[in-house]
Amino acid sequence: MITLDIKDLHAKIGDKEILKGLNLQLEAGKVHAIMGPNGAGKSTLSKAIVGHYDVEITAGDILYKGKSIIEMEAEERALEGIFLSFQHPVEIPGVNNAYFLRTALNAKRKHEGKEELNAAEFLRAMKGHLEALGMKSDMISRSLNEGFSGGEKKRNEILQMLILEPEVIILDEIDSGLDIDALRAVSEGINKMKDGKRTFLVITHYSRILDYIEPDYIHVLKEGKVIKTAGVELVAKLEADGYDGIVEE
Amino acid sequence: MKTPIRLENLRDASLETMAEYFKVDVSNVVLKRLYTLGLPNKKSESYRYFPMESLLSTEYETLDFTPLEVHQKEKIEILDGQVISIPPYVRVYYTHYDDIDMEHYDPMYYLGHLLNPRVIMIEIDGDRSIELIHRFTKPNALIHYRLVIKNQANRHTTLYESFESTNAQGSLVLHGYDMVVAPDSTLRVIKNQNIQNEAYTCVSSHHYKVSRQANLVLQSFDFGNTAALDLFKVELDTYATLDAGHLLYLLGKTRRGIVSQIVHKGEHSSSKQEAKSILEDDARGIFDALIRVEHSAIHSKTVQNSKAVLLGEHCYMISKPQLEIYIDELEASHGATTGQLDSKQLFYLRSRGISEKEAKKMLIIAFANTLIDHIKDARYQEKVQKSFEETFYSHTKEST
Repeated sequence: MITLDIKDLHAKIGDKEILKGLNLQLEAGKVHAIMGPNGAGKSTLSKAIVGHYDVEITAGDILYKGKSIIEMEAEERALEGIFLSFQHPVEIPGVNNAYFLRTALNAKRKHEGKEELNAAEFLRAMKGHLEALGMKSDMISRSLNEGFSGGEKKRNEILQMLILEPEVIILDEIDSGLDIDALRAVSEGINKMKDGKRTFLVITHYSRILDYIEPDYIHVLKEGKVIKTAGVELVAKLEADGYDGIVEE
Repeated sequence: MKTPIRLENLRDASLETMAEYFKVDVSNVVLKRLYTLGLPNKKSESYRYFPMESLLSTEYETLDFTPLEVHQKEKIEILDGQVISIPPYVRVYYTHYDDIDMEHYDPMYYLGHLLNPRVIMIEIDGDRSIELIHRFTKPNALIHYRLVIKNQANRHTTLYESFESTNAQGSLVLHGYDMVVAPDSTLRVIKNQNIQNEAYTCVSSHHYKVSRQANLVLQSFDFGNTAALDLFKVELDTYATLDAGHLLYLLGKTRRGIVSQIVHKGEHSSSKQEAKSILEDDARGIFDALIRVEHSAIHSKTVQNSKAVLLGEHCYMISKPQLEIYIDELEASHGATTGQLDSKQLFYLRSRGISEKEAKKMLIIAFANTLIDHIKDARYQEKVQKSFEETFYSHTKEST
């Protein structure tokens, strides 16, 4: 089953067209990796999917479970189950991390017609996730991402993913700035979410993260289009020949 | 009640007429300072953005001074300018004050001293946290008083200042401190003033003298839809420090803000001043702040910053951070930003399913919290937070 169907997508940031007729289908329960050189449009693609204000879609469509989402607000897309782990999560001084996480979780629960969690119930629900990610409990009492190291920010992104339980998970350069221990903890968190139903889109420059999160498909993005889709064996070819060695299909 | 007063009448008065009015000699130096500076008008630097002229031209009732019984309580209470309660470890008395700053920039500082030849002297013993409540109950009156606060050397004192009013509509409160922070001591002044619906108008004019190796912490939280202006001057001696934070949350058509002058006089003195303003509707916020580093203040450090978030269509922030430096051997920086809520932060929250309206609320409260969180005492921090959030949520409710 196709969860996300991106059809002939054209998108620009400012006056510059970045995506130039991009087609991509993401299957439910599969891990899709998007690789490509700098400036290929990888981050623009992730932003287009989640409805970032920077990106203007000029043509084409994005269908989520068969329904167009390009007119939906960012929060509606999130509530429907689309999640982006940001490459550079913003710091928000003064917003308590636990308060933020509970507000986001309760918005989701409300959307699903479930009871909202009170502070105690929320903290109980968080405990296991914090331990699994190797996060100190004081991290959720601090301001959101303020003063967090690169690794702590990425762990906090994964924590959000774990509690919000989205259906489509986009990981934008999740491995950037992570040391080996942090990479392992983050990958374990992601692998925990693999249940054969959720869809992953892993955006990366390097193959390192793919040693930890095994992809089902590799898509090569170049100059605003997907030029090749293949199995995991494509990674070795990319390592050997680089992006220039890939011929558009 | 005594004869009504219109302060505007003093504007063009001769020195002799003014002396007669205040019952002082024409040679009185405080009178001469007021006469030289003149009453504030639209051209006065410190009052350029504040409707002082209309306040001065209003006729107010004057209050009789009938001494009230002073009770012993855990807090200092001042009712319409008179002390009505004090804690046991505080000495309070009315007295003449001779150590008036003769270089203050604010004419209202001198007017305050002339209107109040006897100040309320408060002497605090030991390490103390004291609540000080100003209460106003008279309508259409000129409520004026001045306080002098002295702490002890090597001691830590915290003053939590709050304001209450009942039936004081139409009144103008003119008050202010002269504070001497004793050597090697720390004095914290945390002010929480939420004025709604023209409950009264307030103009405060202060002078703080921070002695050698002493620390002054000034945290002001000014909320509401009613005009008020806080003017102060701080003088820093050798190794003295100032840590000042100001939060303004303004609504309606109010004009409100801070006018300050921080003067580094001693070597190795340091100051940090941070202002955050959130403006709704047609409000006008004022942050007009000068830091002067004198020749004597080598190796000083100073940081000054103002950030304003404009939420209303017609609101306006006057941010004037200024440095006046007479030496080379120092570290100094200042800056000001005025704008909307951060779009990246807003998007981040929305990308997690939080509605735009809720995300905006979270960011505004967060912006305020960055200063409120600096209040050390959790109980008082909660009070200020509650005061802010009640004002914020009631406005949000009204505007939806």
